[in-house]
Amino acid sequence: MSHKIGTRTEISDPTAPAITVQNLHKSFRLPTEQTFGLKQAIFNRLRGIKGYREQKVLKGLDFVVNQGEFLGIVGRNGSGKSTLLKILAGIYYPEKGNVTINGTLVPFIELGVGFNPELTGRENVYLNGALLGFSNAEMDKMYDDIWKFAELEDFQDQKLKNYSSGMQVRLAFSIAIRARGNILLLDEVLAVGDAAFQQKCNQYFESLKDNHQTVILVTHSMENVRRFCTRAILIDDGKIVKDGKPDKVANAYLKLWS
Amino acid sequence: MAIPRVLNRRNRILLKELTKTDFKLRYQGSVLGYLWALLRPLMMFAILYVVFAKLLKIGGDIPHYPVYLLCGTTMWSFFTECTSQGIQAIVNRGDLLRKISFPKYIVVVSATLTAVINMLINLLVIIIFALINGVTPSPTWLLAIPAIFELYLLSLGLAFLLGSINVKYRDITSIWDVLVQALFYAVPIIYPIAMVASTSEIAAKIILMNPISQAIQDIRFGLITTETITAWNYLASPVTIIPPLLVVTFLIFGAVVFRRKSKFFAEEV
Repeated sequence: MSHKIGTRTEISDPTAPAITVQNLHKSFRLPTEQTFGLKQAIFNRLRGIKGYREQKVLKGLDFVVNQGEFLGIVGRNGSGKSTLLKILAGIYYPEKGNVTINGTLVPFIELGVGFNPELTGRENVYLNGALLGFSNAEMDKMYDDIWKFAELEDFQDQKLKNYSSGMQVRLAFSIAIRARGNILLLDEVLAVGDAAFQQKCNQYFESLKDNHQTVILVTHSMENVRRFCTRAILIDDGKIVKDGKPDKVANAYLKLWS
Repeated sequence: MAIPRVLNRRNRILLKELTKTDFKLRYQGSVLGYLWALLRPLMMFAILYVVFAKLLKIGGDIPHYPVYLLCGTTMWSFFTECTSQGIQAIVNRGDLLRKISFPKYIVVVSATLTAVINMLINLLVIIIFALINGVTPSPTWLLAIPAIFELYLLSLGLAFLLGSINVKYRDITSIWDVLVQALFYAVPIIYPIAMVASTSEIAAKIILMNPISQAIQDIRFGLITTETITAWNYLASPVTIIPPLLVVTFLIFGAVVFRRKSKFFAEEV
């Protein structure tokens, strides 16, 4: 089994763009049989069946994200947005093409990565913090702020399984916003919690925009694209079909259905 | 996975926190909690002791036989726990792999470190039992350290190799379970190697060429009694190199395969 591999390079150059993507391709091999395993693999080999079907997800993307840009990535479900984000984050390997990341990149593919229902809120905070790159000492310092922001101070020693899903997301978000990096990758993390908490989230995004933080945001909310982004990209069927002002891209997105 | 950043700050933090979590979760929800780390091998020892030392009367002429047996079973448990946890680590931590980018070996190492902690606690018990049993402390105890380390490296090599195949072919977990059962009888834990040597010297030599046997016998030699038959005092001089050579081979081969396959774990897991 041979995979062709593109490159993902990390550099640190204050004068260069934050992210450069050149001719990025990615496809997945989807198994055609339901059962995984050695038996199936041997059978397939004997019968000369491939046992998988190639699904092209990204078909040659080219774009540059400048420092300080708040870039929105929009597109329908299955258009390849999340795959792109995962390649930028270094979770998936580019199949063809080059990705260059300039500086430290903090990905939030999902909130509360590593959260374990059997552990207490306190233990989960330290675990999630470690996954974001914080040491215990650093977590100690921001520990109280995390709980205060999440408005969950009374639940610190409860197991996470006793939290409502809204509470879990609030806690996760509260940890996530402490992360510092040159580039933030956010996948659908807005629109969590109740109205009051939503307010806090919006403030956080406003502050990112005001501080000229480089952000890449994958979202379905055109309201958020118009409100926070300085630029947007519309991806359809693995290709960039529109790149430019948030307003224009949002309109193009809405036209996909008309 | 370039060499300079193998254990950078972020990876160290991750390794520490994941190991802590693994250890906590292992005994989560049980009344006796961490005590099980001690109780499990002790119970296995009790069963084997009654069956083999008392009923079948094996090992009569080995000094301090009960501790000798306990030492063997503990190290065997260490090996099996290390490998089985290590092999399943990538699959068990699949959710993490799909959401953040980090060197994948950390997941395997953190899973095996839980086994290391358990083994160290049990080592303390062995030492206490040995002292009660009349073993006198001696500098040879230090010989156990490299042997335990060797056993760990072997487990790690196997975990890397089989763990990376297990991502795609989950059959590995079941195959390894059966293989471990068979291996148990191929290693002189419950029977003294001298018993084999008295019927067939060749068989005894082959058994000692297995790095697991070699390491366990060396640990017993160091900790319990210098009358232990070991690979280096029983095998001819050039053959002695085989067990450690096997360990190095498994470790390098495992690491190379793991490194090549790890790029696609996030997609395949």
